[in-house]
Amino acid sequence: MSPLIWSLLITSLATSTIITMSSHHWLLAWVGLELNTLSILPVIIKSHHPRATEAATKYFLIQAAAAALILLASTLNAWQTGHWSIMHTSAHTTTIITLAILLKLGIAPMHGWYPEVLQGSTMNTALIISTWQKLAPLTLLYLINNNPPTNILLLMGVISALAGGWIGLNQTQTRKIMAFSSIAHMGWLIITLNLSLHLTTTTMMIYMITTTAMFMSLNTTTTKTMTDMGMAWTQSPPLTTMMMITLMSLGGLPPLTGFTPKWLILNNLCHMNLLFPTIILAMASLPSLFFYIRLAYFTTLTTPPNTTNTHHKWRFKPPLIAGLTPATSLAALLLPLMPMMIS
Amino acid sequence: MMYLIFLFSVCFVLGVLGVAANPAPFFGAVALVFGALGCCGVLVGLGGSYIGIVLLLIYLGGMLVVVAYSVALAAEPYPEAWVNHSVLMHVLGYVLLVLLVGWCFMELFVESGVDAAGFFSLRGDFSGVVLLFSMGGWLLLLSGWGLLLALFVVLELTRGRARGGLRVP
Repeated sequence: MSPLIWSLLITSLATSTIITMSSHHWLLAWVGLELNTLSILPVIIKSHHPRATEAATKYFLIQAAAAALILLASTLNAWQTGHWSIMHTSAHTTTIITLAILLKLGIAPMHGWYPEVLQGSTMNTALIISTWQKLAPLTLLYLINNNPPTNILLLMGVISALAGGWIGLNQTQTRKIMAFSSIAHMGWLIITLNLSLHLTTTTMMIYMITTTAMFMSLNTTTTKTMTDMGMAWTQSPPLTTMMMITLMSLGGLPPLTGFTPKWLILNNLCHMNLLFPTIILAMASLPSLFFYIRLAYFTTLTTPPNTTNTHHKWRFKPPLIAGLTPATSLAALLLPLMPMMIS
Repeated sequence: MMYLIFLFSVCFVLGVLGVAANPAPFFGAVALVFGALGCCGVLVGLGGSYIGIVLLLIYLGGMLVVVAYSVALAAEPYPEAWVNHSVLMHVLGYVLLVLLVGWCFMELFVESGVDAAGFFSLRGDFSGVVLLFSMGGWLLLLSGWGLLLALFVVLELTRGRARGGLRVP
Protein backbone atom coordinates (compact mmCIF):
# COMPACT_ATOMS: atom_id res chain seq x y z
CA MET A 1 0.00 0.00 0.00
CA SER A 2 1.26 3.45 -0.84
CA PRO A 3 2.80 5.17 2.23
CA LEU A 4 0.65 8.25 1.72
CA ILE A 5 -2.57 6.27 1.76
CA TRP A 6 -1.36 4.23 4.71
CA SER A 7 -0.56 7.36 6.70
CA LEU A 8 -3.94 8.86 5.78
CA LEU A 9 -5.66 5.70 7.01
CA ILE A 10 -3.78 5.56 10.29
CA THR A 11 -4.36 9.26 10.88
CA SER A 12 -8.07 8.85 10.17
CA LEU A 13 -8.23 5.84 12.47
CA ALA A 14 -6.86 7.84 15.36
CA THR A 15 -8.74 11.04 14.59
CA SER A 16 -12.13 9.40 14.16
CA THR A 17 -11.93 7.84 17.60
CA ILE A 18 -10.98 11.22 19.05
CA ILE A 19 -13.89 12.85 17.21
CA THR A 20 -16.34 10.40 18.73
CA MET A 21 -14.80 10.72 22.15
CA SER A 22 -14.98 14.51 22.14
CA SER A 23 -18.46 14.98 20.67
CA HIS A 24 -21.57 16.30 22.38
CA HIS A 25 -23.84 15.95 19.38
CA TRP A 26 -25.10 12.60 18.17
CA LEU A 27 -24.45 13.38 14.54
CA LEU A 28 -20.80 14.10 15.19
CA ALA A 29 -20.46 10.91 17.21
CA TRP A 30 -22.00 8.95 14.35
CA VAL A 31 -19.65 10.60 11.85
CA GLY A 32 -16.69 9.57 14.00
CA LEU A 33 -17.92 5.98 14.19
CA GLU A 34 -18.41 5.74 10.43
CA LEU A 35 -15.00 7.25 9.70
CA ASN A 36 -13.54 4.74 12.14
CA THR A 37 -15.13 1.83 10.29
CA LEU A 38 -14.09 3.20 6.91
CA SER A 39 -10.48 3.75 7.84
CA ILE A 40 -9.83 0.33 9.31
CA LEU A 41 -11.29 -1.61 6.37
CA PRO A 42 -8.20 -1.33 4.12
CA VAL A 43 -6.06 -2.24 7.13
CA ILE A 44 -7.97 -5.51 7.54
CA ILE A 45 -8.00 -6.27 3.83
CA LYS A 46 -4.37 -5.31 3.25
CA SER A 47 -3.12 -8.71 2.10
CA HIS A 48 -6.15 -9.22 -0.18
CA HIS A 49 -6.31 -12.87 0.79
CA PRO A 50 -9.91 -14.20 0.50
CA ARG A 51 -9.95 -14.76 4.26
CA ALA A 52 -9.00 -11.15 4.87
CA THR A 53 -11.60 -9.94 2.35
CA GLU A 54 -14.24 -11.97 4.13
CA ALA A 55 -13.17 -10.57 7.49
CA ALA A 56 -13.32 -7.00 6.18
CA THR A 57 -16.77 -7.58 4.68
CA LYS A 58 -18.13 -8.99 7.91
CA TYR A 59 -16.60 -6.16 9.92
CA PHE A 60 -18.08 -3.55 7.60
CA LEU A 61 -21.59 -5.02 7.61
CA ILE A 62 -21.75 -5.34 11.39
CA GLN A 63 -20.33 -1.89 12.12
CA ALA A 64 -22.47 -0.20 9.46
CA ALA A 65 -25.64 -1.82 10.78
CA ALA A 66 -24.77 -0.77 14.33
CA ALA A 67 -23.99 2.80 13.23
CA ALA A 68 -27.29 2.95 11.32
CA LEU A 69 -29.08 1.83 14.50
CA ILE A 70 -27.33 4.58 16.44
CA LEU A 71 -28.38 7.13 13.84
CA LEU A 72 -31.97 5.88 13.95
CA ALA A 73 -32.12 6.00 17.73
CA SER A 74 -30.58 9.47 17.94
CA THR A 75 -33.03 10.75 15.30
CA LEU A 76 -35.90 9.24 17.30
CA ASN A 77 -34.53 10.97 20.36
CA ALA A 78 -34.32 14.28 18.50
CA TRP A 79 -37.90 13.81 17.29
CA GLN A 80 -39.26 13.11 20.75
CA THR A 81 -37.15 15.37 22.94
CA GLY A 82 -36.07 18.06 20.49
CA HIS A 83 -32.35 18.01 21.08
CA TRP A 84 -29.31 16.06 19.94
CA SER A 85 -27.28 16.16 23.12
CA ILE A 86 -25.65 12.85 23.93
CA MET A 87 -25.71 13.24 27.69
CA HIS A 88 -29.44 13.93 27.88
CA THR A 89 -30.68 11.06 25.77
CA SER A 90 -34.03 9.74 26.92
CA ALA A 91 -34.39 6.30 28.44
CA HIS A 92 -36.18 4.59 25.55
CA THR A 93 -33.56 5.49 22.98
CA THR A 94 -30.60 4.69 25.22
CA THR A 95 -31.80 1.09 25.11
CA ILE A 96 -31.56 0.99 21.31
CA ILE A 97 -28.23 2.83 21.36
CA THR A 98 -26.83 0.49 24.00
CA LEU A 99 -27.78 -2.55 21.94
CA ALA A 100 -26.14 -1.01 18.89
CA ILE A 101 -22.97 -0.26 20.84
CA LEU A 102 -22.89 -3.78 22.27
CA LEU A 103 -23.11 -5.06 18.70
CA LYS A 104 -20.12 -2.88 17.84
CA LEU A 105 -18.15 -4.17 20.83
CA GLY A 106 -18.76 -7.81 20.04
CA ILE A 107 -20.62 -8.71 23.20
CA ALA A 108 -22.69 -11.89 23.35
CA PRO A 109 -25.24 -12.61 21.99
CA MET A 110 -23.99 -10.36 19.17
CA HIS A 111 -20.51 -11.83 19.14
CA GLY A 112 -20.64 -14.07 16.08
CA TRP A 113 -18.64 -11.82 13.81
CA TYR A 114 -15.81 -11.18 16.24
CA PRO A 115 -13.72 -14.38 16.16
CA GLU A 116 -13.99 -14.64 12.40
CA VAL A 117 -12.88 -11.05 11.87
CA LEU A 118 -9.93 -11.49 14.18
CA GLN A 119 -8.93 -14.77 12.54
CA GLY A 120 -9.01 -13.20 9.08
CA SER A 121 -6.69 -10.33 9.96
CA THR A 122 -3.03 -10.19 10.85
CA MET A 123 -1.92 -10.21 14.47
CA ASN A 124 -1.30 -6.45 14.59
CA THR A 125 -4.64 -5.69 12.96
CA ALA A 126 -6.34 -8.00 15.45
CA LEU A 127 -4.63 -6.05 18.22
CA ILE A 128 -5.99 -2.77 16.85
CA ILE A 129 -9.51 -4.20 16.50
CA SER A 130 -9.38 -5.59 20.04
CA THR A 131 -8.09 -2.50 21.76
CA TRP A 132 -8.29 0.80 19.88
CA GLN A 133 -11.61 0.11 18.14
CA LYS A 134 -13.31 -0.45 21.45
CA LEU A 135 -12.57 3.03 22.75
CA ALA A 136 -15.10 4.99 20.68
CA PRO A 137 -18.19 2.84 21.41
CA LEU A 138 -17.24 2.61 25.05
CA THR A 139 -17.04 6.40 25.29
CA LEU A 140 -20.60 6.62 24.04
CA LEU A 141 -21.63 4.14 26.72
CA TYR A 142 -20.02 6.43 29.29
CA LEU A 143 -21.85 9.46 27.95
CA ILE A 144 -25.32 7.90 28.00
CA ASN A 145 -24.87 6.75 31.58
CA ASN A 146 -27.51 9.19 32.83
CA ASN A 147 -30.26 6.80 31.71
CA PRO A 148 -28.59 3.43 31.36
CA PRO A 149 -30.57 0.26 30.58
CA THR A 150 -29.17 -1.48 33.65
CA ASN A 151 -30.89 -4.82 33.16
CA ILE A 152 -29.65 -5.18 29.61
CA LEU A 153 -26.08 -4.32 30.59
CA LEU A 154 -26.11 -6.77 33.47
CA LEU A 155 -27.68 -9.59 31.45
CA MET A 156 -25.43 -9.13 28.42
CA GLY A 157 -22.38 -8.94 30.64
CA VAL A 158 -23.13 -12.22 32.32
CA ILE A 159 -23.99 -13.90 28.99
CA SER A 160 -20.76 -12.60 27.45
CA ALA A 161 -18.62 -13.87 30.27
CA LEU A 162 -20.28 -17.28 29.97
CA ALA A 163 -20.14 -17.40 26.17
CA GLY A 164 -16.55 -16.22 25.97
CA GLY A 165 -15.42 -18.87 28.38
CA TRP A 166 -17.46 -21.73 26.97
CA ILE A 167 -16.87 -21.27 23.26
CA GLY A 168 -13.20 -20.43 23.82
CA LEU A 169 -12.64 -23.89 25.23
CA ASN A 170 -12.87 -25.44 21.79
CA GLN A 171 -10.39 -23.17 20.01
CA THR A 172 -6.88 -23.96 18.87
CA GLN A 173 -6.12 -20.83 16.87
CA THR A 174 -4.55 -18.19 19.09
CA ARG A 175 -6.35 -15.28 17.47
CA LYS A 176 -9.72 -16.91 18.09
CA ILE A 177 -8.68 -17.65 21.66
CA MET A 178 -7.87 -13.98 22.11
CA ALA A 179 -11.21 -13.10 20.52
CA PHE A 180 -13.14 -15.12 23.08
CA SER A 181 -10.95 -13.76 25.82
CA SER A 182 -11.91 -10.29 24.61
CA ILE A 183 -15.62 -11.18 24.56
CA ALA A 184 -15.44 -12.38 28.15
CA HIS A 185 -13.54 -9.30 29.31
CA MET A 186 -16.01 -7.02 27.57
CA GLY A 187 -18.76 -8.80 29.45
CA TRP A 188 -17.10 -7.99 32.77
CA LEU A 189 -16.55 -4.43 31.53
CA ILE A 190 -20.12 -3.53 30.69
CA ILE A 191 -21.27 -4.67 34.10
CA THR A 192 -19.10 -1.96 35.60
CA LEU A 193 -21.15 0.67 33.79
CA ASN A 194 -23.87 0.01 36.33
CA LEU A 195 -21.46 0.23 39.24
CA SER A 196 -18.97 3.03 38.88
CA LEU A 197 -17.43 4.77 35.89
CA HIS A 198 -14.01 4.90 37.56
CA LEU A 199 -14.15 1.14 37.73
CA THR A 200 -15.02 1.00 34.04
CA THR A 201 -11.96 3.03 33.18
CA THR A 202 -9.76 0.85 35.39
CA THR A 203 -11.13 -2.34 33.84
CA MET A 204 -10.69 -0.99 30.33
CA MET A 205 -7.10 0.11 30.95
CA ILE A 206 -6.11 -3.20 32.48
CA TYR A 207 -7.86 -5.10 29.69
CA MET A 208 -6.02 -3.08 27.06
CA ILE A 209 -2.65 -3.54 28.74
CA THR A 210 -2.97 -7.29 29.21
CA THR A 211 -4.43 -7.88 25.75
CA THR A 212 -1.71 -5.76 24.17
CA ALA A 213 0.98 -7.69 26.06
CA MET A 214 -0.48 -10.99 24.87
CA PHE A 215 -0.93 -9.94 21.26
CA MET A 216 2.56 -8.49 21.06
CA SER A 217 4.04 -11.69 22.48
CA LEU A 218 2.09 -13.74 19.95
CA ASN A 219 3.31 -11.44 17.21
CA THR A 220 6.96 -11.70 18.22
CA THR A 221 6.93 -15.48 18.28
CA THR A 222 4.51 -15.70 15.28
CA THR A 223 2.45 -18.35 17.01
CA LYS A 224 -0.84 -18.69 15.20
CA THR A 225 -1.99 -22.00 16.68
CA MET A 226 -1.58 -23.89 19.92
CA THR A 227 0.87 -26.29 18.32
CA ASP A 228 3.04 -23.31 17.34
CA MET A 229 3.01 -22.29 20.98
CA GLY A 230 4.61 -25.60 21.87
CA MET A 231 7.67 -24.72 19.81
CA ALA A 232 7.83 -21.05 20.74
CA TRP A 233 10.14 -21.55 23.68
CA THR A 234 13.08 -22.06 21.38
CA GLN A 235 12.74 -18.56 20.07
CA SER A 236 12.91 -16.79 23.38
CA PRO A 237 12.54 -18.64 26.68
CA PRO A 238 12.10 -15.49 28.78
CA LEU A 239 9.33 -14.35 26.46
CA THR A 240 7.44 -17.59 26.81
CA THR A 241 7.78 -17.39 30.57
CA MET A 242 6.33 -13.91 30.46
CA MET A 243 3.57 -15.21 28.19
CA MET A 244 2.60 -17.59 30.95
CA ILE A 245 2.53 -14.70 33.43
CA THR A 246 0.45 -12.59 31.04
CA LEU A 247 -2.00 -15.44 30.53
CA MET A 248 -2.38 -15.81 34.26
CA SER A 249 -3.01 -12.07 34.46
CA LEU A 250 -5.68 -12.35 31.75
CA GLY A 251 -7.27 -15.13 33.75
CA GLY A 252 -7.54 -12.86 36.76
CA LEU A 253 -5.24 -14.58 39.19
CA PRO A 254 -3.75 -12.67 42.11
CA PRO A 255 -1.08 -11.28 42.64
CA LEU A 256 -1.14 -10.14 39.03
CA THR A 257 -2.75 -7.07 37.49
CA GLY A 258 -5.71 -8.88 36.02
CA PHE A 259 -7.01 -9.67 39.48
CA THR A 260 -7.79 -5.99 40.15
CA PRO A 261 -10.88 -5.57 37.97
CA LYS A 262 -12.36 -8.91 38.89
CA TRP A 263 -11.95 -8.26 42.60
CA LEU A 264 -13.35 -4.75 42.45
CA ILE A 265 -16.31 -5.77 40.27
CA LEU A 266 -17.27 -8.69 42.50
CA ASN A 267 -16.88 -6.46 45.53
CA ASN A 268 -19.11 -3.77 44.07
CA LEU A 269 -21.73 -6.27 42.93
CA CYS A 270 -21.90 -7.72 46.43
CA HIS A 271 -22.31 -4.23 47.88
CA MET A 272 -25.28 -3.76 45.57
CA ASN A 273 -26.79 -7.05 46.73
CA LEU A 274 -26.56 -8.65 43.30
CA LEU A 275 -25.39 -12.02 44.54
CA PHE A 276 -26.74 -14.18 41.73
CA PRO A 277 -24.87 -12.38 38.93
CA THR A 278 -21.80 -12.34 41.18
CA ILE A 279 -21.82 -16.10 41.55
CA ILE A 280 -22.45 -16.68 37.83
CA LEU A 281 -19.67 -14.25 36.87
CA ALA A 282 -17.19 -15.85 39.23
CA MET A 283 -18.04 -19.30 37.92
CA ALA A 284 -17.96 -18.07 34.30
CA SER A 285 -14.37 -16.95 34.65
CA LEU A 286 -13.37 -20.54 35.26
CA PRO A 287 -13.64 -21.89 31.68
CA SER A 288 -11.66 -18.84 30.52
CA LEU A 289 -9.03 -19.58 33.11
CA PHE A 290 -8.92 -23.16 31.89
CA PHE A 291 -8.04 -22.27 28.35
CA TYR A 292 -5.49 -19.69 29.49
CA ILE A 293 -3.84 -22.31 31.67
CA ARG A 294 -3.92 -24.82 28.82
CA LEU A 295 -2.17 -22.28 26.61
CA ALA A 296 0.38 -21.52 29.34
CA TYR A 297 0.92 -25.25 29.81
CA PHE A 298 1.76 -25.77 26.15
CA THR A 299 3.89 -22.68 26.04
CA THR A 300 6.03 -22.96 29.10
CA LEU A 301 5.28 -25.89 31.32
CA THR A 302 5.80 -28.82 28.93
CA THR A 303 7.63 -29.55 25.75
CA PRO A 304 5.25 -31.26 23.33
CA PRO A 305 6.40 -34.63 22.01
CA ASN A 306 8.49 -34.26 18.91
CA THR A 307 11.48 -35.75 17.17
CA THR A 308 14.82 -34.67 18.53
CA ASN A 309 15.96 -32.53 15.68
CA THR A 310 12.75 -30.48 15.64
CA HIS A 311 13.09 -29.55 19.27
CA HIS A 312 15.45 -26.74 18.42
CA LYS A 313 13.58 -25.00 15.66
CA TRP A 314 15.76 -22.90 13.39
CA ARG A 315 15.06 -19.40 14.52
CA PHE A 316 15.45 -16.13 12.80
CA LYS A 317 16.09 -13.01 14.81
CA PRO A 318 12.75 -12.21 16.42
CA PRO A 319 11.39 -8.78 15.58
CA LEU A 320 12.02 -6.24 18.27
CA ILE A 321 8.59 -4.85 19.08
CA ALA A 322 9.00 -1.68 21.07
CA GLY A 323 6.03 -1.81 23.39
CA LEU A 324 6.35 -5.45 24.35
CA THR A 325 8.42 -5.09 27.50
CA PRO A 326 6.45 -2.24 29.08
CA ALA A 327 3.14 -3.91 28.27
CA THR A 328 4.22 -7.23 29.72
CA SER A 329 5.62 -5.66 32.88
CA LEU A 330 2.48 -3.63 33.41
CA ALA A 331 0.33 -6.70 32.77
CA ALA A 332 2.00 -8.47 35.62
CA LEU A 333 2.85 -5.96 38.29
CA LEU A 334 0.13 -3.33 38.71
CA LEU A 335 -1.83 -4.89 41.57
CA PRO A 336 -0.20 -2.85 44.37
CA LEU A 337 -1.46 0.31 42.66
CA MET A 338 -5.05 -0.80 43.05
CA PRO A 339 -6.00 1.66 45.84
CA MET A 340 -4.85 4.51 43.64
CA MET A 341 -6.87 3.20 40.73
CA ILE A 342 -10.22 3.12 42.43
CA SER A 343 -10.16 6.56 44.01
CA MET B 1 -51.43 18.53 -0.34
CA MET B 2 -50.74 16.20 2.54
CA TYR B 3 -52.32 13.41 0.52
CA LEU B 4 -49.79 14.01 -2.24
CA ILE B 5 -46.98 13.88 0.28
CA PHE B 6 -48.45 10.67 1.66
CA LEU B 7 -48.51 9.16 -1.82
CA PHE B 8 -44.89 10.16 -2.35
CA SER B 9 -43.95 8.51 0.93
CA VAL B 10 -45.78 5.32 -0.10
CA CYS B 11 -43.78 5.41 -3.33
CA PHE B 12 -40.60 5.84 -1.27
CA VAL B 13 -41.42 2.87 0.97
CA LEU B 14 -42.25 0.67 -2.02
CA GLY B 15 -39.03 1.68 -3.71
CA VAL B 16 -37.00 0.85 -0.61
CA LEU B 17 -38.82 -2.49 -0.33
CA GLY B 18 -37.94 -3.15 -3.92
CA VAL B 19 -34.28 -2.44 -3.25
CA ALA B 20 -34.30 -4.73 -0.22
CA ALA B 21 -36.07 -7.60 -1.98
CA ASN B 22 -34.74 -7.29 -5.49
CA PRO B 23 -34.39 -10.49 -7.53
CA ALA B 24 -31.50 -9.06 -9.52
CA PRO B 25 -29.43 -5.88 -9.23
CA PHE B 26 -31.05 -4.36 -12.33
CA PHE B 27 -34.45 -4.33 -10.69
CA GLY B 28 -32.92 -3.03 -7.50
CA ALA B 29 -31.53 -0.06 -9.39
CA VAL B 30 -34.94 0.70 -10.90
CA ALA B 31 -36.57 0.46 -7.49
CA LEU B 32 -33.88 2.78 -6.11
CA VAL B 33 -34.88 5.38 -8.72
CA PHE B 34 -38.50 5.19 -7.60
CA GLY B 35 -37.48 5.40 -3.97
CA ALA B 36 -35.31 8.45 -4.58
CA LEU B 37 -38.06 10.16 -6.56
CA GLY B 38 -40.58 9.46 -3.82
CA CYS B 39 -38.27 10.78 -1.12
CA CYS B 40 -37.51 13.87 -3.18
CA GLY B 41 -41.24 14.45 -3.58
CA VAL B 42 -41.75 14.23 0.17
CA LEU B 43 -38.97 16.70 0.83
CA VAL B 44 -40.09 19.20 -1.80
CA GLY B 45 -43.69 18.95 -0.65
CA LEU B 46 -42.62 19.83 2.88
CA GLY B 47 -40.80 22.92 1.70
CA GLY B 48 -37.23 21.75 1.39
CA SER B 49 -36.71 22.26 -2.30
CA TYR B 50 -32.94 22.65 -2.10
CA ILE B 51 -32.42 19.50 -0.09
CA GLY B 52 -34.66 17.60 -2.50
CA ILE B 53 -32.54 18.66 -5.43
CA VAL B 54 -29.37 17.70 -3.59
CA LEU B 55 -30.88 14.30 -2.78
CA LEU B 56 -31.74 13.71 -6.42
CA LEU B 57 -28.31 14.83 -7.51
CA ILE B 58 -26.47 12.54 -5.10
CA TYR B 59 -28.71 9.52 -5.41
CA LEU B 60 -29.44 9.50 -9.10
CA GLY B 61 -26.33 11.24 -10.30
CA GLY B 62 -23.89 9.60 -7.92
CA MET B 63 -25.09 6.44 -6.24
CA LEU B 64 -27.12 5.20 -9.17
CA VAL B 65 -24.16 5.59 -11.51
CA VAL B 66 -22.00 3.55 -9.13
CA VAL B 67 -24.78 0.96 -8.78
CA ALA B 68 -25.12 0.79 -12.55
CA TYR B 69 -21.39 0.10 -12.98
CA SER B 70 -21.45 -2.55 -10.25
CA VAL B 71 -24.53 -4.11 -11.83
CA ALA B 72 -22.78 -4.21 -15.17
CA LEU B 73 -20.01 -6.23 -13.53
CA ALA B 74 -22.46 -8.67 -11.96
CA ALA B 75 -24.76 -9.20 -14.93
CA GLU B 76 -26.53 -12.52 -15.26
CA PRO B 77 -28.27 -13.61 -18.47
CA TYR B 78 -31.53 -14.98 -17.00
CA PRO B 79 -32.41 -13.07 -13.86
CA GLU B 80 -35.46 -13.88 -11.76
CA ALA B 81 -38.44 -11.58 -12.07
CA TRP B 82 -40.61 -9.84 -9.51
CA VAL B 83 -43.43 -12.36 -9.70
CA ASN B 84 -41.26 -15.35 -8.97
CA HIS B 85 -42.48 -17.12 -5.88
CA SER B 86 -39.45 -16.57 -3.64
CA VAL B 87 -39.16 -12.86 -4.44
CA LEU B 88 -42.87 -12.27 -3.90
CA MET B 89 -42.72 -13.90 -0.47
CA HIS B 90 -39.85 -11.61 0.51
CA VAL B 91 -41.67 -8.50 -0.71
CA LEU B 92 -44.87 -9.45 1.13
CA GLY B 93 -42.87 -10.16 4.25
CA TYR B 94 -41.23 -6.75 4.14
CA VAL B 95 -44.59 -5.04 3.50
CA LEU B 96 -45.95 -6.77 6.61
CA LEU B 97 -42.90 -5.65 8.60
CA VAL B 98 -43.31 -2.05 7.48
CA LEU B 99 -47.01 -2.10 8.34
CA LEU B 100 -46.32 -3.52 11.80
CA VAL B 101 -43.56 -1.02 12.59
CA GLY B 102 -45.66 1.80 11.14
CA TRP B 103 -48.58 0.80 13.35
CA CYS B 104 -46.34 1.23 16.39
CA PHE B 105 -45.27 4.70 15.39
CA MET B 106 -48.46 6.04 13.85
CA GLU B 107 -49.92 7.64 16.94
CA LEU B 108 -46.67 9.52 17.42
CA PHE B 109 -47.01 11.19 14.02
CA VAL B 110 -46.95 14.94 14.51
CA GLU B 111 -48.18 17.61 12.16
CA SER B 112 -45.13 18.48 10.11
CA GLY B 113 -44.10 22.09 10.26
CA VAL B 114 -44.03 23.62 6.82
CA ASP B 115 -42.17 26.80 5.95
CA ALA B 116 -43.21 26.58 2.34
CA ALA B 117 -45.30 29.73 2.37
CA GLY B 118 -44.08 32.41 0.02
CA PHE B 119 -40.71 33.04 -1.55
CA PHE B 120 -38.70 34.37 1.37
CA SER B 121 -35.02 34.00 0.64
CA LEU B 122 -34.19 32.26 3.92
CA ARG B 123 -35.75 28.79 3.69
CA GLY B 124 -35.23 26.21 6.38
CA ASP B 125 -33.01 23.85 4.47
CA PHE B 126 -30.93 26.42 2.69
CA SER B 127 -30.25 28.27 5.92
CA GLY B 128 -28.76 25.08 7.24
CA VAL B 129 -26.31 24.98 4.38
CA VAL B 130 -25.47 28.63 4.97
CA LEU B 131 -24.72 27.82 8.59
CA LEU B 132 -22.60 24.86 7.53
CA PHE B 133 -20.44 27.10 5.38
CA SER B 134 -20.16 29.95 7.88
CA MET B 135 -20.17 28.89 11.51
CA GLY B 136 -19.80 25.19 10.92
CA GLY B 137 -16.57 25.49 9.01
CA TRP B 138 -14.88 22.71 10.93
CA LEU B 139 -17.74 20.33 10.20
CA LEU B 140 -17.44 21.18 6.52
CA LEU B 141 -13.74 20.36 6.69
CA LEU B 142 -14.57 17.10 8.45
CA SER B 143 -17.12 16.17 5.79
CA GLY B 144 -14.65 16.92 3.01
CA TRP B 145 -12.00 14.86 4.71
CA GLY B 146 -14.47 12.01 5.21
CA LEU B 147 -15.26 12.01 1.51
CA LEU B 148 -11.57 11.98 0.60
CA LEU B 149 -11.04 9.11 3.03
CA ALA B 150 -13.92 7.19 1.46
CA LEU B 151 -12.32 7.63 -1.94
CA PHE B 152 -8.98 6.22 -0.82
CA VAL B 153 -10.64 3.44 1.15
CA VAL B 154 -12.56 2.28 -1.92
CA LEU B 155 -9.39 2.54 -3.97
CA GLU B 156 -7.55 0.30 -1.52
CA LEU B 157 -10.40 -2.16 -1.12
CA THR B 158 -10.65 -2.82 -4.83
CA ARG B 159 -6.92 -2.96 -5.39
CA GLY B 160 -6.43 -6.70 -5.03
CA ARG B 161 -8.75 -7.61 -7.84
CA ALA B 162 -6.75 -10.52 -9.18
CA ARG B 163 -5.53 -11.90 -5.90
CA GLY B 164 -8.49 -12.57 -3.73
CA GLY B 165 -12.18 -12.69 -3.11
CA LEU B 166 -13.24 -9.83 -5.37
CA ARG B 167 -13.14 -11.68 -8.64
CA VAL B 168 -13.32 -9.32 -11.58
CA PRO B 169 -13.14 -11.22 -14.86
